[in-house]
Amino acid sequence: MERFDALVIGAGHNGLAAAAALGARGKSVCVLEKSGVVGGMAAEGRLAHLVYNLSEGEKRRLGVNLAEVDTVSLSPDGAHAVVRRGAAGFADGRAYPDAAAYGALHARLVRFAGVLAHLAEAPPLGLDGGLASFASLREIARLGKVGLGLKRLGKVEMREFLRVILSNAYDTILDELPDGPLAGALASDAVRGAWAGPRSPGTVFSLIYRLGHGGAVYRPEGGMGALAEAYAAAARGKGCEIRLNAPVARVLVEEDRACGVELADGARIAAQAVLSSAGPLQTMLLAGVAHFDIEATRRARNMRAKGSAAKLNFALSGRPVFTGLSEAQHHARLLVAPSAAAVERAFNPAKYGELPKSPVLEMVLDGTRFSVIASHVPTEPQGGWTRAARDQLEKVVVQAIEAHAPGFAGLVTGCEVLTPADIADLTGAPGGHWHHAEMGLDQVLTLRPIAGNARYALAVQGLYLCGASAHPGGDVTGLPGRNSAAQLLADGVL
Amino acid sequence: MANHDSYDAIIAGAGHNGLTAACYLARAGLRVLVVEKNDWIGGAAVSRSLEPGWTYSNCSYVCSLLRREIVRDLDLPRFGLQVIPYEGGATFTPDGDYFAYYSDHDALRREIARHEPRDVDAYDRFSRTVIRQCRFIRPFLLRNAPDPTSLKVRDLQELLFLLRRANGLGARELAETMRFWTMSIGDFLDAHFESPLIKAHLAGSGIIGTGLGVYSPGTAYVLLHHYMGDVDGAIGAWGFARGGMGAITRALGDCLTEAGGVIRTGAGVERFIVDDGRVKGVALDNGDIFFAPVVASNMDVKRTFLRHTARDQLPEDFLRGVERFKIRGSSAKLNIALDGMPEFPAAPEGAPFLRGDLHCSTSLEELERAYDDWKEGQWSRNPYFDMLIPSQIDPTMAPQGKHMMTVFVQYAPYDLEKDGIRSGQHWDDAARQALADCVFDKIEQACPDIRFGWSMPRCARRWTSNARSG
Repeated sequence: MERFDALVIGAGHNGLAAAAALGARGKSVCVLEKSGVVGGMAAEGRLAHLVYNLSEGEKRRLGVNLAEVDTVSLSPDGAHAVVRRGAAGFADGRAYPDAAAYGALHARLVRFAGVLAHLAEAPPLGLDGGLASFASLREIARLGKVGLGLKRLGKVEMREFLRVILSNAYDTILDELPDGPLAGALASDAVRGAWAGPRSPGTVFSLIYRLGHGGAVYRPEGGMGALAEAYAAAARGKGCEIRLNAPVARVLVEEDRACGVELADGARIAAQAVLSSAGPLQTMLLAGVAHFDIEATRRARNMRAKGSAAKLNFALSGRPVFTGLSEAQHHARLLVAPSAAAVERAFNPAKYGELPKSPVLEMVLDGTRFSVIASHVPTEPQGGWTRAARDQLEKVVVQAIEAHAPGFAGLVTGCEVLTPADIADLTGAPGGHWHHAEMGLDQVLTLRPIAGNARYALAVQGLYLCGASAHPGGDVTGLPGRNSAAQLLADGVL
Repeated sequence: MANHDSYDAIIAGAGHNGLTAACYLARAGLRVLVVEKNDWIGGAAVSRSLEPGWTYSNCSYVCSLLRREIVRDLDLPRFGLQVIPYEGGATFTPDGDYFAYYSDHDALRREIARHEPRDVDAYDRFSRTVIRQCRFIRPFLLRNAPDPTSLKVRDLQELLFLLRRANGLGARELAETMRFWTMSIGDFLDAHFESPLIKAHLAGSGIIGTGLGVYSPGTAYVLLHHYMGDVDGAIGAWGFARGGMGAITRALGDCLTEAGGVIRTGAGVERFIVDDGRVKGVALDNGDIFFAPVVASNMDVKRTFLRHTARDQLPEDFLRGVERFKIRGSSAKLNIALDGMPEFPAAPEGAPFLRGDLHCSTSLEELERAYDDWKEGQWSRNPYFDMLIPSQIDPTMAPQGKHMMTVFVQYAPYDLEKDGIRSGQHWDDAARQALADCVFDKIEQACPDIRFGWSMPRCARRWTSNARSG
């Protein structure tokens, strides 16, 4: 039987990051991917079409050229807002009346994100053995660092941090800005991919998470596919093997130790450690639920992961023209999020399994390809994602775009609709959720993805989570994978 | 000639919290003055006879959270406070069934099994968690919250107390606590129960009095808040104050007077007198001025600092914080005088749960939709309500043979939206009538003859839209 030190299930960016981290320490690693492409959700044409929240270190490691882009938040009255990080203006070059307030709010949120960044770079605080146990001293030291970062903010800012961190994005934004496309842009960033509206408490946390590392938005040169390839190349460069079209049927367990996997074609591969990019429940099912206690499986079953974003990949016969935008502005990140209230309203129908009437859109134009993320959509609409439901979603999205780009509908030659159900099928992400598990306050840090499994290890020895469901969560950061590999090594499994 | 007396402490507002503070201070030997703008005391815990023979508790209507330590310290039963526990409650469905909540554990298990056998064990798991969390939190209610930005000994001590309590929970419970404080009641119930009806019945405690929906994170804690009280030591029990909720503030008022405190009604505060960053006393609307080195305000933080304190005496960032403080009324109240006990055809003859809290919301989705209406500045077309008929237990509330019904309605906005503008002025008679009709339509789900049970022709429905939540 073939043998590796470690097997990684899923060649998403996190699986590849985990493999590369283990490979860098001289371990033999094989990555098993069920589909024919690497990158998972970041593969070309899948859900992700832009990159945020990427640390300088990760950018260097990957060596991909990232072009920072503006964000254009389209306004129904034609007064579109153009944003780059904390700077805001009108699309026609006029000064935005609330630019200063926006800049101050953005700067504050980015500062808060900086304080929390320490927490994302390492496994979260464990609770085993209580708060004051000797084992957790190192973690307490790390928490101390966060505390120190907070202290450095000064008393006023620290109070502000404690006030807003548990709060909702809607109030936090509208305390500073009048409602409109600028507030709408921030509100939509707080909840894109989340099963929450901006009025849900905890959405400031998700906004801060997205604004990690300065809040810049990047387009990778060569598209998302290039970024996915860079992750794969980094893993291969460390000696890892990547096998495509190799779906794993089950994880082999002997005496409560993971000892390899069996592929769908019946082939078996032995290993001392198995890392899974799937969610906790899917991973437990692969290993067999009999190996886990009832409470753990119950928690896994109840993990919140309802996908709320759909992706529409349009093929166009020509270039769409958006009213009021310059040639260059067409290549920005385009948003339809006219106000924070509209973003909240866009979440309402999804809660009841209904299709959106006025969805919030994030759009990226690439030649004659037009990539659109529509939110919020129901994870599974009443009656399921039938042909009619997909057509209806496409129709609503085209209408919303047509309002800003007259003639758009006539340019459409094809449209691929990826619903949360499709994304779940393609990538294995639980519920097709952007972050694999909702980034609610009850599912972050020590509680991510489920209480008792925050430190990547599951109850079966040598079985680890390395996907976005694990700490710190989604977005193309590679951190869950890298942290998982580090924890696995620290635990002495290899 | 205006009064110019001075006191050791002045309390602005004779609500139950202002009176409680005053009682403690007076019993500690201080000379205390309570000033109240209304001609009566009680704030939101007040009972008044708006129709001859019927007593209404206008705002708050049931009692559980009044801490027993306070009842004992101030010896309130001696001043006439008597809290009568009520048993259980029920949610009625449109198809003529109901889910009854009994305080008898076996009866409750049988009732749950009637709807969903799988939920019987789930309920035990659920209530175990809730009780554990209550035990953890209760000691904090009688302490001051630490300021984590401060390094003062007192704050550090409080922080240490919190950490030690948390550490004592053990890893599993600690994780459960953190989740409980951050989850929505909807997600929490979804993780335990199968039956939509049972979930809807239990969810009410998670949203009542808030501007949040059943799926808004943080509402699981709100449920806890409503399970934390007791009646005579029976944890989680709720009861009626005999004679209405005003009995509580009447007892507090009498307690205060006996301890030598002074209450002045019809004496609204015009402004707090502040000089050089220190409070000196209060100036009243009627021209009276009273001095004291300490003034406590029972008014909300916005009223206190934005309306009644000179702006130039307060730091700018503090004022900004006050201006941003969110107070969003979300509830309305219908007080209904009934000619007799209404029929509940679904309920068995003499069912004990009719003496408890009655509801008609049958799914979490229905409750969440009610919240969506409110977000848009509308009252819920299909509202949640908490309905009780206290005169079944406390005959002092209505004339012989008649009854009084209290219906707490959620959600109703303070600023009603009309033609794109939100304003409290939009609550005209037509809007009030429309809200009442909407509530009555839904009450008919439980008792179809409710509209015939009004005390006519003196239609004595009164309602209050809470200006403030709580």
